[in-house]
Amino acid sequence: MSTPLEKPQIISHIQKGLNYTIFDSKWIPCSAKFVCMGNFARGTGVIQVYEVQHGEVQLIKEIEKAKPFKCGTFGATSLQQRHLATGDFGGNLNIWNLEAPEIPVYSVKAHTEIVNTIDGVGGLGIGDGAPEIVTGSRDGTVKVWDPRQRHTPVANMEPIEGETKRDCWTVAFGNACNDQDRCICAGYDNGDIKLFDLRNMSVRWETNIKNGVCCVEFDRKDINMNKLVATSLEGKFHVFDMRTQHPTKGFASVSEKAHKSTVWQARHLPQNRDIFMTAGGAGSLHLWKYEYPAQRSKKDADEIEMGVAGSASLLQNVTLSTQPIASLDWSPDKQGLCVCSAFDQTVRVLIVTKLNRV
Amino acid sequence: MPLPYLTKEFGMETEQVSSMLDLGTTKSYKIPVEHLDYSFIEKCTDVRHLEKILVVLRSGEEGIYPALTEFCEKKIESLDPRSRALRKEKPPATAASFSSDEWREIMCDLKSWSKEINQRETELKHQSVLDNSENVPPVRGSNVFVPSKQNKINKGKTSKNKVVPREYSEWDKFDVEKECAKVEGCNKEKSSPGLINHGLPKIKRKIDTTGLTDKEKNIIANREKDKGNEFFNAKDYEDAVVYYTRSISVIPSVAAYNNRAQAEIKLQHWNNAFNDCEKVLELEPNNMKALLRRATVYKHLGKVKEAADDLKKVLQAEPENVMAKKLLHETEGNKDMQSKKQPKGKRILIQEVEDLDDETETESCLLVGGESAAEKGEMGNAQRKFTGRGDGGPQTEEKSPSTAKKAQTKRGSSEKGSYQGAKEQGQVNEFQRNESYAGDQTSPSSSGTDSSRPDVPVDSGALPPDIARLKSQGNELFKSGQFSEALLKYTQAISDFTEAEIDSPGDLSILYSNRAACFLKDGNCSDCIQDSTRALELQPFSVKPLLRRAMAYESLERYRQAYVDYKTVLQIDSGVQSANDSVNRITRLLIDQDGHNWREKLPDIPAVPLSAQQNRWEGTSANYEQTQQKTKGSGGSKPVQDTGKKTEALFLSHKQEGNDFVKKGQYKDALGKYTECLKLKSSECAIYTNRALCNLKLNQYEEAKQDCDSALQLEPSNMKAFYRRAMAHKGLQNYAYCMDDLKEVLRLDPKVAEAEKELQEAAELFSKQSVAPDSQEKQRKKIQIQEVNDSDEEETENTRDKSDGKEVNRHVGTGDNQINHCGSENMFPLQPTNAYEFGQALNAVKSKEDIAACAKLLCSVEPENLPSLMSNKLEVDSFTIIIQALDNHLLQKDPTLVYRHLVHLHEAERFKMVSLLLGKTEKEQVKQLFDHLSTVESVQFTSDDIQNLAKHYLF
Repeated sequence: MSTPLEKPQIISHIQKGLNYTIFDSKWIPCSAKFVCMGNFARGTGVIQVYEVQHGEVQLIKEIEKAKPFKCGTFGATSLQQRHLATGDFGGNLNIWNLEAPEIPVYSVKAHTEIVNTIDGVGGLGIGDGAPEIVTGSRDGTVKVWDPRQRHTPVANMEPIEGETKRDCWTVAFGNACNDQDRCICAGYDNGDIKLFDLRNMSVRWETNIKNGVCCVEFDRKDINMNKLVATSLEGKFHVFDMRTQHPTKGFASVSEKAHKSTVWQARHLPQNRDIFMTAGGAGSLHLWKYEYPAQRSKKDADEIEMGVAGSASLLQNVTLSTQPIASLDWSPDKQGLCVCSAFDQTVRVLIVTKLNRV
Repeated sequence: MPLPYLTKEFGMETEQVSSMLDLGTTKSYKIPVEHLDYSFIEKCTDVRHLEKILVVLRSGEEGIYPALTEFCEKKIESLDPRSRALRKEKPPATAASFSSDEWREIMCDLKSWSKEINQRETELKHQSVLDNSENVPPVRGSNVFVPSKQNKINKGKTSKNKVVPREYSEWDKFDVEKECAKVEGCNKEKSSPGLINHGLPKIKRKIDTTGLTDKEKNIIANREKDKGNEFFNAKDYEDAVVYYTRSISVIPSVAAYNNRAQAEIKLQHWNNAFNDCEKVLELEPNNMKALLRRATVYKHLGKVKEAADDLKKVLQAEPENVMAKKLLHETEGNKDMQSKKQPKGKRILIQEVEDLDDETETESCLLVGGESAAEKGEMGNAQRKFTGRGDGGPQTEEKSPSTAKKAQTKRGSSEKGSYQGAKEQGQVNEFQRNESYAGDQTSPSSSGTDSSRPDVPVDSGALPPDIARLKSQGNELFKSGQFSEALLKYTQAISDFTEAEIDSPGDLSILYSNRAACFLKDGNCSDCIQDSTRALELQPFSVKPLLRRAMAYESLERYRQAYVDYKTVLQIDSGVQSANDSVNRITRLLIDQDGHNWREKLPDIPAVPLSAQQNRWEGTSANYEQTQQKTKGSGGSKPVQDTGKKTEALFLSHKQEGNDFVKKGQYKDALGKYTECLKLKSSECAIYTNRALCNLKLNQYEEAKQDCDSALQLEPSNMKAFYRRAMAHKGLQNYAYCMDDLKEVLRLDPKVAEAEKELQEAAELFSKQSVAPDSQEKQRKKIQIQEVNDSDEEETENTRDKSDGKEVNRHVGTGDNQINHCGSENMFPLQPTNAYEFGQALNAVKSKEDIAACAKLLCSVEPENLPSLMSNKLEVDSFTIIIQALDNHLLQKDPTLVYRHLVHLHEAERFKMVSLLLGKTEKEQVKQLFDHLSTVESVQFTSDDIQNLAKHYLF
């Protein structure tokens, strides 16, 4: 497809050492700014806003709060407001107006334990329907929140009585192609992946990939489910074709051994859903392209439709650090611009070139 | 990449070989040591084995051989470039990895982006926060428990389904058949529960963008287009079409149309593809891709000639275009085949989706083998059908019945069918757009033209009574606002009409035009366009359908087409105010949209034949009043009385302005105003006489005469008109006529002194003319007209000759705006404000030795101002006349004023000089004045004051 020279290149544009452990970083939509969320050594939480200016990052704002922040999202806010929703170590879900961060615009004790993961949909013009936030926690529950409703979640997905509670490591919205349809995918420490259908309020599909699920993401939130990437603890990732669901076999998938250690993150390029980047435990980044098979579905022996998985090809890989890269976020506004943070207390702004020629 | 599969067998062999030669193995993988050798690696084709060798070599456990390692890597790469073993840890790229140009480009790109995004962010911050909470669905529910176990749920599934009750709005969309199918689907699921996620029915084809800024819309449109591209790349052409459609619904863009055309081609929806290509070409007439795609469509529709035309156009612009060459070759091949009646369908698709950001893609061509095999027979048949039919309409598509009907439309063989076809076509094309704009129509109809009304034709005599009845019912319903009922009536009328096979395109055109009005009112813009177009086909260049279509286009935000239609309307009748307004509005929009070169993107504006324009103008003059209503934009759709009132008001204002201009001496402007007045109301006599005055003033005697004639037609005994006509005749040196007219004036009113004087003068001139016709130049009169009456008032005309008889001063006093006009001798500007005016007035008085007038003049000026008004113009004669006026006229009335005048007069500049030059009689007069003054008893002055003052005058 592409000659070596035409291959996308990953440039480490800016590096910035930090004085705290950074867990998550996110671009502020419609700006050249990003937020970093983490944990000061003294045990408090910190949100920093940086702006990319003339080849370096400028600290614009620093907010310190009682509990360390684990994760954040802009997915459920409007482009005008751009409120940041965060999950912290205390199990709280807060929504902050970064212009006036003294008190949160929305606050709820969402979980009894740390909020590991958060995702939003319905904001920024991405996804039809109501703005909603989903949180996953160590307490084993996945809860859906509507910023318009205080105190209680709109949906609560938890193990039934007597079942062991698994640590939920990752959640993602998807299938928000109209007002009613919406799905949540959740990954657990035991390798379970569950797909919740919010329209029917039921589990639509579940599977186990044997190792802890570090990250799940749909290729796009706001289309009819197309693909799902799940990364796992032992360095593999799986791409599920979500178009065709077989009654017993479920969704077809392809897996790829990507990194030598845990794949912490997988993020699809906002401008091209078939390109995604995985971030690994050994400080490496791999850029992938999913290639569809000639036919996306076929009939099995019993004449039942089943999906056919495509393949993932590596476009580029780089090693940035010796420490795990814990978060990665593509700029929604500028193709190829992304920010990633590693446990070496460094945040990096990367440029990936030639993505439009892939 | 077939290689990995082939190497399997080889791999088996190598292992067997290695086990046979037993020379020791490596620690890991147990590879025979002799395999770590150039010659073996060279020959080996087993990638797995080579990968193992590479691992051993890299580990260095058998020694470090960098060259061999590299050789091995290269070998693996040649066999399987994607082998995992080749993945090496790489540092991130740096400036060194790029050429300096590339690097600079990357950095500049980032810099310009950050600048741009900062600007956008500031804009975003300054925007008011819109609350679109109404659009957002309600909160899902509260704390719904979803057990995270699948099988458990299945049991309680039915109850779980009820967790979210259906909303009312959902019931509106409730589709029984779909629900039944769903239930059936559930039942089927047990036997064949394979579930394919087809989003098509679920996805809205239109995005609600109310309250969004253009920037946001742009973002959304691009995002939807990107999604379409992704679906296209994943070969989900139907989804791609949906997302392109969504993009177009936000902002119609060339790229989205073009891409949708490509997707439609893939789906073999030739008509849709064709329409999209047409749209692209409307927006960008030289879009190569669209031309290529249209050629493809033509080719598949069997229109070989058109296809070849398009391809030649492409090749003209881009002679190297491989794709076009290939297609052209194919097409020509096809042509030959076709002539031999051995058509051969071959599918050629232009496979590429363009991206707005990146226009550098190359065209590629694919033969889709699987589909084409099935298609060949069909295509072949279709083409044979064509040649049989002769004209090659686009009937090949069995899938779309609308095509056939459309073809009929063009032939006009069955009008009803064609209408239906056209309508279906419209629905196909516009399915997602027309409802959307119905709501937020910016009601151009309210801007006020009668085009929002059905035309009520003057002669419907040609119509059969039942159709005429349907039509009048339709008109009635329309007037009462029941547009959909009216629509039905018109539709009925049209179908009856076509069934009756009456050959009267004019009437049918009106019916279509009326129905277009109904569609427009209903917000069904696309159908309105269809009907208007039909009406225009039947009756080209009729204003109403054009206007309606323009409004419909405007509602659909197809501004270019709207612009063209409005422009056409204006060519036919430049007085249609709504068209003028709309053109201005759309021009602004188009400039915003397309920048300064917006005109280049416009479709051609049809040239309106002169006959159509003239027709229009004749109609205009025949019904002057009506056109005037339009011209004034006073709203044809408003009640007539209202219009009348407005016209009246406008008329009066024009007239007033005209009068004001005359007073200021701006006769040209005044003339214009009066002309406008006459356009509004041609039956006002006073306007004609006033305009005649202006014409006289401007020495346009002929026009003046005509105006007087018109006035006299309206009012046969209008004295002013006679008088002015006399002046005009005088100007034209028709002294005989002049005398006739003046006599007429005197007959009507014998007391008009000016007329008498003029008559005498004219008589003199007449006799002179007969004696010495050459002395005309000198005899030409300069006619000075200084005031205009308000035609509603009674006017007084005062005309006096100057002493030399060559100048006529006319003062037309109005009843209310002058203070001291009671006499008949005011030939000077009242209350002169400067030395010039005063001087003129004084001269006039002097020349006629009109002491009384002089007295008036002195009354009208403040004594304190006298020296300044006098300036250095004080002469003996003017001094004398002032003294006389003071003595004879003012002394009795107002001795104080006389005293004050005298006090100030001696302060005038040339007073001393004049007093020295006074003759005996003048001195006598002054003395007399002072004598008289000293006899008057007054509190204002004593006799001593007078004595002192007299010293100044008499030394």
